[in-house]
Amino acid sequence: MKSTAFRRRTSARALLATGLLTGLVLASGCAKSEDEGDGDKKSSAQEGGEAAASSDTSGGETCTIDAYGGKKLDLKNATVGFSQSEKEANPFRIAETASIKAEAKKRGVKLLTANAQSQFSKQISDVQDLIAKGADLLVIAPLNSDGWEPVLRSAAARHIPIVTVDRKINAEPCKDYVSFIGSDFVEQGRRAADRMIEATGGKGTVAILLGAAGNNVTTERTKGFEERLKEKAPGLKVVFKQTGEFAREKGQQVTEQLIQSKPGIDGIYAENDEMGLGAVNALKGAGKKAGAVKIVTVDGTRNAVQGIVDGWISGVIESNPRFGPLAFTTLDSFAQGGKVSQEIVIKDSAYTEDNAKSDVDKAY
Amino acid sequence: MTELTLGRVSADRARLLRLLQEYGVYLGVLVLLLVNIAFTPHFLSGENFRTQAVQVAPVLVVALGMALAIGTEGVDLSVGSVMALSTSLISLYLGYGVWIALLAALLGGIVVGLANGSLVAFVGVQPIVATLALMVAGRGLALVMLPQLKQVNDPDMAALGSGDLLGVPYLVLIAAGLALLVAFVVRRTTFGRQLLAIGDSRPAAQLAGLPVRRVLILVYVLCGALAAFAGVLATARLTASDPTSLGTLMELSAITAVVVGGTPLSGGRVRIGGTVAGAVLIQLLTATLIKHDLPPSWTQIAQAVVIVLAVYAARERGKR
Repeated sequence: MKSTAFRRRTSARALLATGLLTGLVLASGCAKSEDEGDGDKKSSAQEGGEAAASSDTSGGETCTIDAYGGKKLDLKNATVGFSQSEKEANPFRIAETASIKAEAKKRGVKLLTANAQSQFSKQISDVQDLIAKGADLLVIAPLNSDGWEPVLRSAAARHIPIVTVDRKINAEPCKDYVSFIGSDFVEQGRRAADRMIEATGGKGTVAILLGAAGNNVTTERTKGFEERLKEKAPGLKVVFKQTGEFAREKGQQVTEQLIQSKPGIDGIYAENDEMGLGAVNALKGAGKKAGAVKIVTVDGTRNAVQGIVDGWISGVIESNPRFGPLAFTTLDSFAQGGKVSQEIVIKDSAYTEDNAKSDVDKAY
Repeated sequence: MTELTLGRVSADRARLLRLLQEYGVYLGVLVLLLVNIAFTPHFLSGENFRTQAVQVAPVLVVALGMALAIGTEGVDLSVGSVMALSTSLISLYLGYGVWIALLAALLGGIVVGLANGSLVAFVGVQPIVATLALMVAGRGLALVMLPQLKQVNDPDMAALGSGDLLGVPYLVLIAAGLALLVAFVVRRTTFGRQLLAIGDSRPAAQLAGLPVRRVLILVYVLCGALAAFAGVLATARLTASDPTSLGTLMELSAITAVVVGGTPLSGGRVRIGGTVAGAVLIQLLTATLIKHDLPPSWTQIAQAVVIVLAVYAARERGKR
């Protein structure tokens, strides 16, 4: 029934549809947002907190270049490759990449970078590219923990030291890679609990806004918080545990339900800043006063730290993305024949009423 | 037992089932209300009803458009992504003022609707496939425009999100107004009747000389515009644009609201009253489970049970 003329016309219409979409993309080119022009403010902040980054030297197993294989080298004459997992779109990734770049620049080390844009296959080929381009050492922020065998094989063939940051890979330390540098999420939960106990006086009821289900960050931040509460402040009871899926909107909606069914709630522990800010929205909407319900969050983004300054948030435990100094120190001492830990915990700072105002510019 | 009584019993049963299909959703809402009044502390308060109504408003606005699409025996999976697109556009154009931003957001929804409608009406792509494509593309586009959450500080947007008129939140007034408008369009306009005729049988509508393509495109444009508007409402409430997570799984909630409300997936009928009740039912269900601090996964399971019940009812209707 369909004639060719008809078909030609339909494809013309389909083209029109595609054209419309393209137009939309182009139209965003002349967009003008509310606060055009303060884009520079952020970049300075990303470097602001660099000095704060240092390690808790954990007493675990160590690794040396003799055990790993390979030749000693001077970092100054070496090329370091950095493979980032996700697009630098959220504050954490932006700060992480900026920190690596800043440290390389500071030390005068040649740095090659790649971004996998959240595609694991791209990250594998990214790292292989970096090796092919002559990287002598690698810093990897892995997208996944598994599936690294092909890369590890080609790195091992050339004895390239690898340090992974923020996420571990499932492989043998000091054989397949040198060490892992990351935050201790359980400890973050414990510190959040300490802050909550301090803010509430250790008595009353608290709610937990959980992160996404099935995520190790969620389980570890919950575990640390609940354990510490039980151990230090049995009078402070967790009476509500619902997921806000790490998103502001969900955090707001869940908190709205919470403050109606349990109006006497004393504290809210949000497992990331975004949900905490959602909770602030909900409390504002319900006509509560700033500080009436104590909110403690984890991450340390600028908006949340500003929330402390404004009186709505009682504490923010940082999850430090500034791996640059630690990663390079580790690689440097390793390459010169020194002993380095196989697992290095990055020091997370914390924000309270005492330092929020002065340190808000250091937040990422 | 004689044959006569047997016949009567089954006739009674069929009538009961039909009543349940038609009004079951209202019954469900009533039951949930009573259960909550009895067992949920502080449920019977103006503040609580306000919260539930405000939370359901964006879902309802999306569901209204979805009801139209389903009425034509179609579906629109791109609604959640359209919300994300809309929230990105608001943020990007707020510098020109709130009205321009609103216009940009609505235009975004209309353009996606045009693309959906063109694919369905002209190219003959199945609605589920066409809108799936736009669902993926829309979210991607939204993230290209605005890669991360951005605060919206505009006072007019904040007022839209949390203000009220004589104690009724703007969001609720707007959603209710749109529901009335869409109900009017479906029942009283030529467009509405044509839409239902197409849903009943597209070939028959074509043979009868109805402007099938024009109507289909308009339906998807309306659906897109409503979803975009829901995106505006959600942005105003959040006072932030969050294209990463805004509207995720919204298509699921909207389809559930429509189907539970008694609109058959086979098209030809649109029940706006039922859709409103369906959206309220899901909201109350979620609220009940959260307020009683039941494990979050239960909410999803409960929603699934409601969908299965609704689809079961639709199956019975088909057999009749």
